[in-house]
Amino acid sequence: MTDSINTAPATDNLDALIAANAPPEIPTHGAVDWMKKNLFSSISTTVQTFLFITLLVLILRWLLGLIFDPEASWDSVATNMRLLFTYNYPADQFIRIWFTVGALLTAVGLTIAAWGVDPKLSVKKLGGNLVGVGALIAIMGIIAPASSTIKTGMIVVGVLIAVLGYGISRVLGEQKISFFPFLLVVAGFWLAVLWLVPFGRNEFIDGAVSNLPGTINPSTKIPWTILILLFLGSVLAGRALVTVIKPQALRLTMIAWWVVGPAFLIFLVLRDPQFDYDKVLRTDVPWALGFAIIGGAILYWLAKPGVGEIGRLFAASATLFALFNWVAAFAGWYSMLQKVRLSFLVFALFALAAPTFAGERSVRLKFVYAWVGTVAIGHWLITGINTVSTLDIAAPPFLGGFTLSMVIAYYVMLASFPLGIILALARTSKLPIFRLLSTLYIEFVRGVPLITILFFFSIMVNLFLPGGMELAELAAIFLGYALFSAAYMAENVRGGLQSIRVGQYEASDALGLTTSQRTIFIVLPQALRVTIPNLVGQAIGTFKETSLIAIVGGFDLLNVAKQSIPNQPDFLGQNKPALLFICAIYWAGSYSMSRASRNLETKLGVGTR
Amino acid sequence: MTMTDTALSEELASRRDMIECVGVKKWFGDFQALGGIDLTVKEQEVMVVLGPSGSGKSTLIRCINRLEVHQEGTIVVDGIELTNDLRNIDKIRSEVGMVFQQFNLFPHLTVIDNITLAPIWVRKKSKVEALRVARELLERVGIPEQAEKFPGQLSGGQQQRVAIARSLAMEPNIMLFDEPTSALDPEMISEVLDVMKGLAESGMTMVVVTHEMGFAREVADRLVFMEDGMVVEINNPEDFFTNPKSERTQLFLSQIL
Repeated sequence: MTDSINTAPATDNLDALIAANAPPEIPTHGAVDWMKKNLFSSISTTVQTFLFITLLVLILRWLLGLIFDPEASWDSVATNMRLLFTYNYPADQFIRIWFTVGALLTAVGLTIAAWGVDPKLSVKKLGGNLVGVGALIAIMGIIAPASSTIKTGMIVVGVLIAVLGYGISRVLGEQKISFFPFLLVVAGFWLAVLWLVPFGRNEFIDGAVSNLPGTINPSTKIPWTILILLFLGSVLAGRALVTVIKPQALRLTMIAWWVVGPAFLIFLVLRDPQFDYDKVLRTDVPWALGFAIIGGAILYWLAKPGVGEIGRLFAASATLFALFNWVAAFAGWYSMLQKVRLSFLVFALFALAAPTFAGERSVRLKFVYAWVGTVAIGHWLITGINTVSTLDIAAPPFLGGFTLSMVIAYYVMLASFPLGIILALARTSKLPIFRLLSTLYIEFVRGVPLITILFFFSIMVNLFLPGGMELAELAAIFLGYALFSAAYMAENVRGGLQSIRVGQYEASDALGLTTSQRTIFIVLPQALRVTIPNLVGQAIGTFKETSLIAIVGGFDLLNVAKQSIPNQPDFLGQNKPALLFICAIYWAGSYSMSRASRNLETKLGVGTR
Repeated sequence: MTMTDTALSEELASRRDMIECVGVKKWFGDFQALGGIDLTVKEQEVMVVLGPSGSGKSTLIRCINRLEVHQEGTIVVDGIELTNDLRNIDKIRSEVGMVFQQFNLFPHLTVIDNITLAPIWVRKKSKVEALRVARELLERVGIPEQAEKFPGQLSGGQQQRVAIARSLAMEPNIMLFDEPTSALDPEMISEVLDVMKGLAESGMTMVVVTHEMGFAREVADRLVFMEDGMVVEINNPEDFFTNPKSERTQLFLSQIL
């Protein structure tokens, strides 16, 4: 043993040898040491520390002043929760909203399970966070310009939380808590808040404000209790499911659900599925079957490896035909169901892609299944959207508030993602015409303010559309916003495309991959991975900028807070509390997205190089 | 052409031409990279291309599968002339394998996916068949146990062997090697060269740009020495190292040996 370590001091005592080579122990510092080192190391730092602490206290006091302003009626927020979140959605139909939230939470739980999200959380750190939160509440209690009861209450609560956090980190210090127990603790906390904290029971009863003491309204806390339990259950169920089926299968299912599912939920919220079955059977089903069967057969033929020139010719003429249908619609030459027009366009895209996915029987069948699935989902959705709503609507814009903001943000991101990729690919393409068109589009859209585009789409587009075609206001906003967002998305994706080394292109070329195969299998997967942080940044921006919908007249979160609430007879002029409240909502949403992206980055950085 | 003929043994000369370059010229802007290359590679021949850096070796073999486009002269690969016709290029690329100095594996795919991707989507093989061939090839290059790993988890030598297996999976008639060992740590060079030797013995037509003189001497049928975009000498290994015809070759050999 000692022979092999020539440079080490000659000793037979292995322990001594190990001790001699061990890294020096890092001395642990107490809070006082830390403050000495970081806050008061010299006179100038001491001065700066005091200066900025004073500034912070002043800002915090000002903010607390807004919250505890005797003029501010927080009842205006508490009573109008329903308005802020769903606008004037009929109360007797609220079960649909709860079902939707439940479906989303279940999907989140299953997704967590499918990807095996199970971080080990350090109890010490969590305890430290609790101490921080407690201290902040206590400090706010001290400086808040409020009644002494509230101040004392805040100080007591803050100190209790801090002591609890300190106790946890002292007693359970070095332990790690796994994810599910942590979720249980968080869920327990929220359940306790729901059922024990006396927020007061605020609601409108027959148009009059009712403000009873006690915990919050049962019509809120009972559904949320069920939803929280449902979420926990779905995590457990997902984990059980992964032991039975392959995690990969569940992941694919969940991805598909996240693309399609929310559309089904919107349908559920906005429409009562009372189909006109006669029309469905006469037109909808035959068209869908026709596209699925005939289109599928043609695609099966097109994806044969040896089809060659005839296939290309066919795909090209299908594309021309599909585009011509739109020209004809604008010129009014012949009428055609919008659904059929769209289907031809999608079919043309599939036909163009067929040579890329050519292969043996099983590969081709997969391609055909993809087509049939697209037809089924697409036609179902369009049929659903075309069905007249049978809900008894109080006023025309009947879904708004937070739900509207979320729906727009989610679908704008979802739609601008493929569009942005196509634009980015076109902009880096070797063909000058694609490059020119894409560059023109991107630079034009990026040079125009979003609000202009929203105005254009919500007011002017309808004027240009041919007779018989109409764009609902919500659809117009969505379309304009998605086209705007796609230009920014394209620039983000282009950044990712530029990070691909030239060797990757050469290797793909040397293997004989076609340009589209190279793009789909080699370039995009690597480019998008690089782009993720930017994409999340854009998602945050998209979420916040949905507030511009207010300006073109949509009743989103901002418009409810700014217009609806201050105009209610009971809360005339009360806009500050609601605005502060939606600030908190926007902040919570943006901050959690940014945290999620940071986690994702570390995960992707570790998994592959 | 006369130089080529003197180096050809009778046995070699009787074989079919796999690659035929006549008067190939190539410019990068004002810089002339290839100044009229005449070269014929015979079937099952191993040709090693030597020369100082910047002499156009890499450019030459990159022209052979059209990663670079030559501006004058003709290149005929296995009876197909390289023109701008896309179908010809695709056909040649699927018959010519290439191994790069920087491996250029696809970092987001596992080793086995790296190998099976092109056979499945270009050769239209079934997945089962492609997997079977890929495992055989990994066996052949000596790393069957690394199939499920990502390239980033392998050593340089292992990555280069995967790259060779990836090219072989396309069942090429010709393999091009562009300085395959130059980016490797010294202790990994031999593992890659051994694979290449095995490949040469199996009768693959190979064009190898390398600085490994031992390999050149042992494996090559003919050696090509290039400088400033021109072929200076084509010779058999024996004469090339012991009795080079050109003074420039002598100088080069004296510098590196």
